[in-house]
Amino acid sequence: MFGFLKKVADYTKDAADAANYLTQGLAVTFDHLRRRPITVQYPYEKLIPSERYRGRIHYEFDKCIACEVCVRVCPINLPVVDWVMNKETKKKELRNYSIDFGVCIFCGNCVEYCPTNCLSMTEEYELSSFDRHSLNFDNVALGRLPTSVTTDPSVRPLRELAYLPSGVMDPHDVPADQARAGQLPSQVLLDKSHEEDMKILPQETIPNSDSQVETNSHE
Amino acid sequence: MSKVITFATNAVATLGSGVDLEYSFTNVFQGLGLSPQVAHLLWLPLPMLLVLFAAVVGVLVTVWLERKISAAAQQRIGPEYAGALGVLQPLADGLKLLVKEDVIPARADGLLFTLGPVLVLVPVILSWLIVPFGQNLLISNVGVGIFLWISLSSIQPIGLLMSGYASNNKYSLLGGLRAAAQSISYEIPLALSVLAVVMMSNSLSTVDIVQQQNGVGLLSWNVWRQPVGFLIFWICALAECERLPFDLPEAEEELVAGYQTEYAGMKFALFYLGSYINLVLSALLVSVLYLGGWGFPIPVEWLSNWLGLPLDSPLVQVITGSVGIVMTVLKAYLLVFLAILLRWTTPRVRIDQLLDLGWKFLLPISLVNLLVTAALKLTFPIAFGG
Repeated sequence: MFGFLKKVADYTKDAADAANYLTQGLAVTFDHLRRRPITVQYPYEKLIPSERYRGRIHYEFDKCIACEVCVRVCPINLPVVDWVMNKETKKKELRNYSIDFGVCIFCGNCVEYCPTNCLSMTEEYELSSFDRHSLNFDNVALGRLPTSVTTDPSVRPLRELAYLPSGVMDPHDVPADQARAGQLPSQVLLDKSHEEDMKILPQETIPNSDSQVETNSHE
Repeated sequence: MSKVITFATNAVATLGSGVDLEYSFTNVFQGLGLSPQVAHLLWLPLPMLLVLFAAVVGVLVTVWLERKISAAAQQRIGPEYAGALGVLQPLADGLKLLVKEDVIPARADGLLFTLGPVLVLVPVILSWLIVPFGQNLLISNVGVGIFLWISLSSIQPIGLLMSGYASNNKYSLLGGLRAAAQSISYEIPLALSVLAVVMMSNSLSTVDIVQQQNGVGLLSWNVWRQPVGFLIFWICALAECERLPFDLPEAEEELVAGYQTEYAGMKFALFYLGSYINLVLSALLVSVLYLGGWGFPIPVEWLSNWLGLPLDSPLVQVITGSVGIVMTVLKAYLLVFLAILLRWTTPRVRIDQLLDLGWKFLLPISLVNLLVTAALKLTFPIAFGG
């Protein structure tokens, strides 16, 4: 008798719990309706790639010494370095250099190991084409500067979530003319020179600050 | 004789029965010298076409709402470029399906394959026959109204099973079988909860069921007297429509698209249309059976009394009629909104859980609900329609 009653009670409790959980779930879904969309309207809005984004590889023909390190560190020996030995000068003469981005996995090993830094990663990722052979970039194509999301007037640049201030989840709040996250090379150099200034300055600045502290304590 | 009938209908029309468009229409044509029968024949196709149109527009609105609300629940934007806010997206979808190639698989049974979607769609559209938007704003006040709907909705699983079998595809067959099992097991608690309402209103006619609820407005709606029945009906209606917690017949993770797997073009559009018309229909019937149908939360008669307007004046009649339509549609679409929210809240149940819920939970509870309603009707005949 009591066993039966307990069964009924348990059954009722289960049903009530289920209803409770369902209401909680509905509250969550309903709350989402009030939130702003986080989607990026792609051709019109684009995310600003992060500082260390591994996009299309940029190559400077004049810096290259045809050492073929990029070929050796590449997992599939992808870069094609077309050089001939000049018997008279006893130097390698580079004729052509190409990377097929239809095959490249953008691991960045070649960029990492290039002794003359003639290879670098760019923020360019729109590589689609109608013919896979047009993805085989020669040294001219590799030498083109990447298109930047922030300088394209037809695109609204949005910052990626990782680069937003803490607490802000909506990249749409960023004004359109805001610079990309991180620093430009010139800014990095500027900071470097400031640091050097700081190294020279300490003898002058520290007494100053000390005196300030003293004046503060006197007050 | 005909004079007596016209007098009688005249009397009914003036007795605060709301707008009677049929009466006015036939009156105009009789004034032009046509016999009452011919005038009636001229009248007949009009409400049918209107309701067909209303059903299709209702589906377009529902599809748009579904896409927009789904997007909002997932923090997306949803359709945006087809018309303002993407309102024309469902039309674009329909147009695309219309011009797609109509494929009948090589080893499929052509006749059954074609007949399946038709058998799914036709009963759903026929059921709109009994949906009242006002006192006289329905195609036909059938005496067995709500029973007609229950019996029509049992034709649908035959169509589903037919298309599942005729596709000659294992996913289709499994989907069709699941659809049939689901429809059959949820039909019974559905019918039992409807029976409790019918018992309270002493009529199967949808018009009578709504009228019985509109005594004192909001407080006299059936949902207060039948809360359990309301929940059971809504759960079963979702299961009948194959809405998300119960969408196993077309569970894409397991069955590709269930019985729709082999369908494309207009035949697929018929299934699509059928499922959405069914959703709107179920929502409308929930509002008719439990939420006071066309009734305003405060009875319109009271309002017109307070404002000192005679109930039978044309203006009041027109306003009453429009308020009725708006209220019915509003209540239905609130339920559609709830169904869409539920779609993104609840996970899909397994087939054994589905049948468990139907047979071991909803069926006994709806039986108890029926018995309790009967007992209450005997003890408190005033409150429970004795």
